[in-house]
Amino acid sequence: MIIENVMLAFGEILTLKTLLLMMTGVAAGLLAGAIPGFTIAMAVVLTLPFTFNMPPSQGLATMVSVLVGGLSGGLMAGILTGIPGTPSSVATTFDGFPMARKGRPGLALGLGVWSSFFGGIISAILLMTFAPQLARIGLEFNPWDYFMLVMFALTITASLAGANMIKGLIAGALGLLVRTIGEDEAIGMARFNFGNDALLQGFNFIAVLIGLFAFSQLLSDVRDPKLARKSLMERTSMQVRIEHLQALREIAKRWTNVIRSAFIGTFTGILPGAGGSVANILAYDQAKKASKNPEEFGTGTPDGIIAPESSNNAVEGGALITMMALGIPGDVTTAVMLGALLIHDVVPSPSFISDEPVLAYSIFLAFFLATFMMLFLQSFMLRVFILVTRVRMYVLAGVILGFCGIGVFAINNVEFDLWTLLWFGIIGFVMRQLGFPLAPMILGVVLGNIAELNLSRAMAITTDLSPFVTRPWSLFFLIIAVFSAFFPYYQEQRGKKTWTRYYPAALAACAAPPLFMMGGLVRPVLAAALLSLAAYLLYQALQKRSAA
Amino acid sequence: MGRINRDAIVAIVLLLFSGVFFWASFDIRQPDYGTLSPAAWPRVIIAVLALLSLVYLAQSIRRGPDKAPAEEPPVRSVGDWFRKWRNVLWCFVLFFFYLASLPVLGMLLGGIAFVFLLLNVLGGWSARNLALHAAVAVISIGAMWSLFTFGLGVILPTGIIFNPFR
Repeated sequence: MIIENVMLAFGEILTLKTLLLMMTGVAAGLLAGAIPGFTIAMAVVLTLPFTFNMPPSQGLATMVSVLVGGLSGGLMAGILTGIPGTPSSVATTFDGFPMARKGRPGLALGLGVWSSFFGGIISAILLMTFAPQLARIGLEFNPWDYFMLVMFALTITASLAGANMIKGLIAGALGLLVRTIGEDEAIGMARFNFGNDALLQGFNFIAVLIGLFAFSQLLSDVRDPKLARKSLMERTSMQVRIEHLQALREIAKRWTNVIRSAFIGTFTGILPGAGGSVANILAYDQAKKASKNPEEFGTGTPDGIIAPESSNNAVEGGALITMMALGIPGDVTTAVMLGALLIHDVVPSPSFISDEPVLAYSIFLAFFLATFMMLFLQSFMLRVFILVTRVRMYVLAGVILGFCGIGVFAINNVEFDLWTLLWFGIIGFVMRQLGFPLAPMILGVVLGNIAELNLSRAMAITTDLSPFVTRPWSLFFLIIAVFSAFFPYYQEQRGKKTWTRYYPAALAACAAPPLFMMGGLVRPVLAAALLSLAAYLLYQALQKRSAA
Repeated sequence: MGRINRDAIVAIVLLLFSGVFFWASFDIRQPDYGTLSPAAWPRVIIAVLALLSLVYLAQSIRRGPDKAPAEEPPVRSVGDWFRKWRNVLWCFVLFFFYLASLPVLGMLLGGIAFVFLLLNVLGGWSARNLALHAAVAVISIGAMWSLFTFGLGVILPTGIIFNPFR
């Protein structure tokens, strides 16, 4: 069955047009990822309008290619200039830039490119293995569980999005509220249209996403008149040849680092809200802890490039696992991918992989192929990147603003969507300036109707609210949502306040009962393991207390 | 009043916003069928938003007045404010006129005019820039318009002045 689906997916993807679109997507992603101020999410959002008229598999393959290219593009800027192209490649600069300054930019780039490649491949394998398994678990979910899963996704995104959790939660609530404008999906009653007929259809959420994310980002890029007139980068005139063979030799000596970092990346990606920006730092930190020579980190050691690049490419495989298996986007880029699926009338849910196997396997395959394309295109795009860095920021921003207009109109051929773009561009910009994270708002917009539909279904079954706390999965998500809400305070107060000593033990202990309630063999065993862990953590905390 | 900072003002605006939406939720018709009222979910969100805004307000007031960032010059007058946000305001205003003029100029001419004017106000009006910006605007928007019109079959607004399909 799997082989049959893979073969059918090959038939969908291996056409000249799709492969060319994927190559273009990878190249565009590499460039967008390399330019500081342009994010991968923005590149994926702006690709969306081009895919409307394509068959779903072709459109999604193109978007996956932009995504994979973008994940690898950041290393070029980070290594050659010390300025990370994206937040996902911040840790790459710690050792990539010193190595380049020591006269080995080719080796640094080679290590980055090949680590990205291996990270992507490992993540793709995990995606193909875990997504169908997770989807099987997802089939157990009832409306109460789904509703609570959405609440958990929003809470954890808000808690990981920035220093101020309240702002993140407000942004998430605003996103949910925006999605309620227009006719409600369950029974079609007009809501918050304030007498305006155009608002009856609600805001097109792709226009909202492009406004909130791309439009507002471009405005931020040109806000300072002096910076807007500068070239994108000053120091990129050096001629570099990527040292592939030497890099492969170095990576072969450090394969445990590649695998560990790819796993860190994938599992960070599975968690809603925690993207590449978290994974690359986490993998770097773990590589440093595991190293025999941690003092070499920061001076240009290969391990310091391998860890972040392997992990940041693995993140999207993880985020795609959650999106394809549960229909819940892990980050902004997968939220846009979910939007692309919805445009093609495909609703991601636990039954997505079994209902649309060819499309699902096309996405898996596209992820694999795009990773190979990235490897071959990197050398060529390095030259293009050096040319593009001579362009001034305002020129690039002005042209892309023009593109945004055309792209958004193409969604539905409705002028109202362009006004949506403008208003949400303003809202996004103001929110950025006021320090509100946009990721929770975007997830709120994308998940708003999923939450409401499931709440509505749950209420149609019974008006009793107790299943939210008596159903195991719902209770499980509720518990981890509450703990994730306190996570920023835990991080802030760790070591300073007594209660933080007991936080990990409490989390493990509270997560165990719902697992016991699920029955079967594996989950109660897992619950017992969690309880043992909780007891151990509690013992350690009490030991520390008595020592203090 | 001396204790009010920017975050406190934002929190008050959010509370007012929640109030307006709560009041507007009473305009939502209540049908005789369905178990979940169409107003229920929005009201839950509004209640959560109002509660979070109150916490945000309390946090802001407890923090005290704003400290001016050292790296930016202080904004003392309306003129300073306009100077600080000049580029962003130009983007908003020009995009607004781009949209308002679509029925007349259409997306091709309007898009070229928008990009050309925006590049000039952001990059300067020197003779060299005028030529460069005109070329960038015509090539970029022309290429994108052609791609969507001929490549993807999207019918973009044509406008009164220039209609290539007439």
